[in-house]
Amino acid sequence: MRALSYFFGEAVQSLLRSRQASVLSVLTIAAGLFVLGFFLMINANLQRIIGGWTDSAELAIYLRDDAGSEQVAALQDVVNRSGLAASVQYSSKEEARRDFARDFPDLASTAAGLERNPFPASFAVRLNASGREASGAVDTMITTINATPGVADVRYDRTWLTRLNATVRVIRGAGLAIIILLAIACAMTVANVVRLAAMARRDEIGIMELVGAPFAYIRGPFIAEGLLQGGLGALLAVAALLGTFAAIRARYAVFMADAVGLTGFAFVPMQIVLLIIVGGMALGCLGGFAVARGVR
Amino acid sequence: MIEAQRVSKLYGRGVYALRELSLRIEKGEFVFLTGPSGAGKSTLLRLLLRQETPTDGRLIVGGRELAKLSGRQVQAYRRSLGFVFQDFKLLQNKTVLENVAFVPRVLGMASSQQQRRTFQVLKWVGLQHRMTSLPMELSGGEQQRIAIARALVNDPVIIIADEPTGNLDPDLSLEIMNLFREINARGTTVLVATHDRELIRRVGRRTVTLNHGSVVEAT
Repeated sequence: MRALSYFFGEAVQSLLRSRQASVLSVLTIAAGLFVLGFFLMINANLQRIIGGWTDSAELAIYLRDDAGSEQVAALQDVVNRSGLAASVQYSSKEEARRDFARDFPDLASTAAGLERNPFPASFAVRLNASGREASGAVDTMITTINATPGVADVRYDRTWLTRLNATVRVIRGAGLAIIILLAIACAMTVANVVRLAAMARRDEIGIMELVGAPFAYIRGPFIAEGLLQGGLGALLAVAALLGTFAAIRARYAVFMADAVGLTGFAFVPMQIVLLIIVGGMALGCLGGFAVARGVR
Repeated sequence: MIEAQRVSKLYGRGVYALRELSLRIEKGEFVFLTGPSGAGKSTLLRLLLRQETPTDGRLIVGGRELAKLSGRQVQAYRRSLGFVFQDFKLLQNKTVLENVAFVPRVLGMASSQQQRRTFQVLKWVGLQHRMTSLPMELSGGEQQRIAIARALVNDPVIIIADEPTGNLDPDLSLEIMNLFREINARGTTVLVATHDRELIRRVGRRTVTLNHGSVVEAT
């Protein structure tokens, strides 16, 4: 307890003594961790959007105009027996025209004025959980359906969602690389600031060595200083993240709900907030330790 | 207490700072180490502080060969020493009280014990009234007395002083030497390196003279 009080007392004094360098170091850590937190926040919300889209992804089976009732029944049987469908909804040609008129009221009169109804009858198949996971089984089912008489076309939203997921994965990888570089930069900044502090205290260190002070007493203050810088930087980053989150939600909540169907833009989970704070402290410690290791 | 057995210290390019130096200092002795500049006085003190190790020979203090001590043993050994330098080596941003209390503090001594020991030694060197002053506000003699107080605060068994009066006038030098005599009178072994022959004559204690890294005279 006495040792800890000494470490942190000395560390606080050192931080105050070299205010400018300490502020610079804390801001660098805060900037690095803010980027990390912001990236994680965007990533979490992006996952929610894609998850929502994936859950509502449908298999649309369009029928030929000349498809008979036996063919329609046979098709429904194929889908039901696949075990991949959560729900199957049939929509007749007339219902399709009504749906169009409802979704596009400006064009309703045009569609109603056509001599022949151009909208095909269709099945909207919502996949169950195993269907969403097992893309191979869905592909097999699509092949079977395509070969069934009376089917004009099969559309599956999943294809572009898969591509979107792949793109997000690439972006996430690049983001991770940037975060690692930022973490290294943070640790190096702390190390340099703590090294400056070590130089400022070289007379003290010399005397401590001569009087036989334990290594812990010589090195402890540097590690404590790194820890404090990292912790302060992390708290600052979390505060900035909260501010950014509030601003985004206030300004873009309606737009995001309309454009991408994201309702309730979410902050990063509490575990991630703790990870940012602990990570900041760990980065600071690492910087402080790098310097302390060189002090004998 | 201190025994040097044919101790040599060789620096780069074959320059010997000490050459087969042998010396014995008993517990409770007061010994002057003298000789011209470059005689090897400071090198011997650095070896005694275990800042360096001999190239050859054995340096034994309190029955322990210094070169064989581990890192932790060196720390424990240094806690039994007090040191005083010509340039005082006081921390300029700390007050007199903080400078002296610094040693027990970094050795993990309890706060109440730190304060008691610090007041005791400051009173002993007669500077208890300057506790809140910064070193730069003190005279050279006062600064050296603070350095002596700092050396004493941990109750060492040996005091090692390297030219402690080098920056002081003759009267102040004698005053500092009287402090060392008092320390020695309490049973502490005192080893003072100085080239001030007149001071040695006035104090009148055992003197070991070095030249070219070897003992040339011992009285």
